[in-house]
Amino acid sequence: MSMQGSRMQTTGSPPLLEVASVGKSFGALAAVADVSFALRERDILGIAGPNGAGKTTLFNLITGTPFFPDSGRVTFRGTRIDRMAPHRIFRLGLARTFQKEASFANLTVEQNVSLGATYGAGLSGRARERAVDAALERLDLSAMRRQPASSLTVYGTKRLMLASAIVVGPKLLMLDEPASGLTASEVADLQSLILGFRDDGMAILLIEHILPLLFGISERVMVMDFGRKLIEGPPSEVARDQRVIDAYLGGQSEAAHALAG
Amino acid sequence: MKKDWTRIGRIASIVVVLAVAAVAPLVLTGGVAQNLAVLSILYAVVASNWDLTLGYAGIFNFAHVAFFGIGSYVAAIATLQFGVPVWLDLILAVVVVVAVGGLVSALALRLRGIYVALVTFALTQLCVALINSAKDITGGPVGLIGVPDLEIRGFELGSEPHAYFYAAEVLLILSTIAMRWLATSHFGLSLVALRDYEAYAVARGIPARRQRVLAIMASSIPTSLAGCLYAHYLIVASPDVFSFSLTTLLLSMVLVGGAGTIYGPIVAAIVLTVGTEGLHQLGNIRYMIVAVLIVLTLRFLPGGLWSLWTLVPAIRRRRATRVPSPLAEEASS
Repeated sequence: MSMQGSRMQTTGSPPLLEVASVGKSFGALAAVADVSFALRERDILGIAGPNGAGKTTLFNLITGTPFFPDSGRVTFRGTRIDRMAPHRIFRLGLARTFQKEASFANLTVEQNVSLGATYGAGLSGRARERAVDAALERLDLSAMRRQPASSLTVYGTKRLMLASAIVVGPKLLMLDEPASGLTASEVADLQSLILGFRDDGMAILLIEHILPLLFGISERVMVMDFGRKLIEGPPSEVARDQRVIDAYLGGQSEAAHALAG
Repeated sequence: MKKDWTRIGRIASIVVVLAVAAVAPLVLTGGVAQNLAVLSILYAVVASNWDLTLGYAGIFNFAHVAFFGIGSYVAAIATLQFGVPVWLDLILAVVVVVAVGGLVSALALRLRGIYVALVTFALTQLCVALINSAKDITGGPVGLIGVPDLEIRGFELGSEPHAYFYAAEVLLILSTIAMRWLATSHFGLSLVALRDYEAYAVARGIPARRQRVLAIMASSIPTSLAGCLYAHYLIVASPDVFSFSLTTLLLSMVLVGGAGTIYGPIVAAIVLTVGTEGLHQLGNIRYMIVAVLIVLTLRFLPGGLWSLWTLVPAIRRRRATRVPSPLAEEASS
């Protein structure tokens, strides 16, 4: 049923990313079960759900790090990627960030980004320099380029992770709780960055616990619970859905109703 | 201004190193002193190359000393048993060792962590088993004696008292330049990235297994040449090169010198080789001294002795200058 839903939405242009009945179990625990959705170019799809709902596991299944799905198909730009090595998936133009902000701490800021350009896009020489300069400039890291990555703040490290992703000009950016641990003004800055990436032609898949951000920029929101997809639709519709309020929003339902307007 | 001083310091140290390299063979002429010097230089090549895979790449690669041993045996077997010309055995040794290194690491790196150590160490044991079972070719436990003199364009290195000393120095200098170049290239950065955060590194397009296999193959080239030189210089190939004690000695050079520095293991190789030899009247107690030294270094100076060198700038930006070794972290945590 959920598959049908995603197909209906993608009639017209072929989807950029198509996830079909993907599942992954650890022993008796179904971390992700029968999840399907599709994403077109320049889409922003938000993923919400309580802790342990399988959101990050779903990201891991799509990017092949550190494991592949047990069942189902993942297609990106017309290519099956559900058994593809993660470094090849990045080279196809699918870039992700990780929940816990981290960097190659022993390398400089510039080297962190340069590695992405070298191994993700096969750049070298002048072309690499230009791409790295542009990515650093875009994420306001130019002044820190010669500093060790370990010297950055939380938001600085998160921006560095984004810089090493966008340096290759990806088609899809998968962000795993990018706003966690940020101040209100940093969240606002991040929001405009994400919208900017979309305007540059990237599709965005966003896991986020900060609901105003998630509901504010997503064109559609998907809610997961117990490894399954509960609902997918426009933010206003999802926020009003009784199942979502019961399963996830709970005490926050007032806020969700306010958001949904 | 600061940059000028860095450059002056770098040029000065290059001049000093070259001067010492030029003069040392003329000064250390006694048989024992020269033996010790050549041996410590060859160990420095092996230890500093091991540092690329153990320190920079963080691979629990215990096959490295076997590359040295296989190099010495290829040289001995090729020249003694098959009459291969004495310059061709160098090329043959490199080809064989790189192939073995590539094959073993490609298999071992399907595994993780301590299992990599087990499989790679098994190569060393396999070599000993092969040597003992193919006595006709390898000489068995006794080894092969009478490896011919190294000859380059008709010049026999043994005919000139300093020739092997200079040859070993040239190998060390070229190998060090190559290792430093690799370590600071994007290839070397990718190894450090994989060591520090593998999931993130592969998510930025770095192929984990390929880079690590290439690192092991690259580090096996100078190592196999050191093995060849060792066999030609000592005139023997002995199964002792596969012993656990040589592996631990070389491992202590990497760790005491400072994993992830290249230079540290070189200094430690020379200090430890000369030191353990100078203390030889103490018998086995000297190995206990080395063992205590390793424990103390890992406990109090996890970056190795080389990190003393960088202690002054490190007071200002400690985390930046230290490239910790995964082994040191393991041991100190």
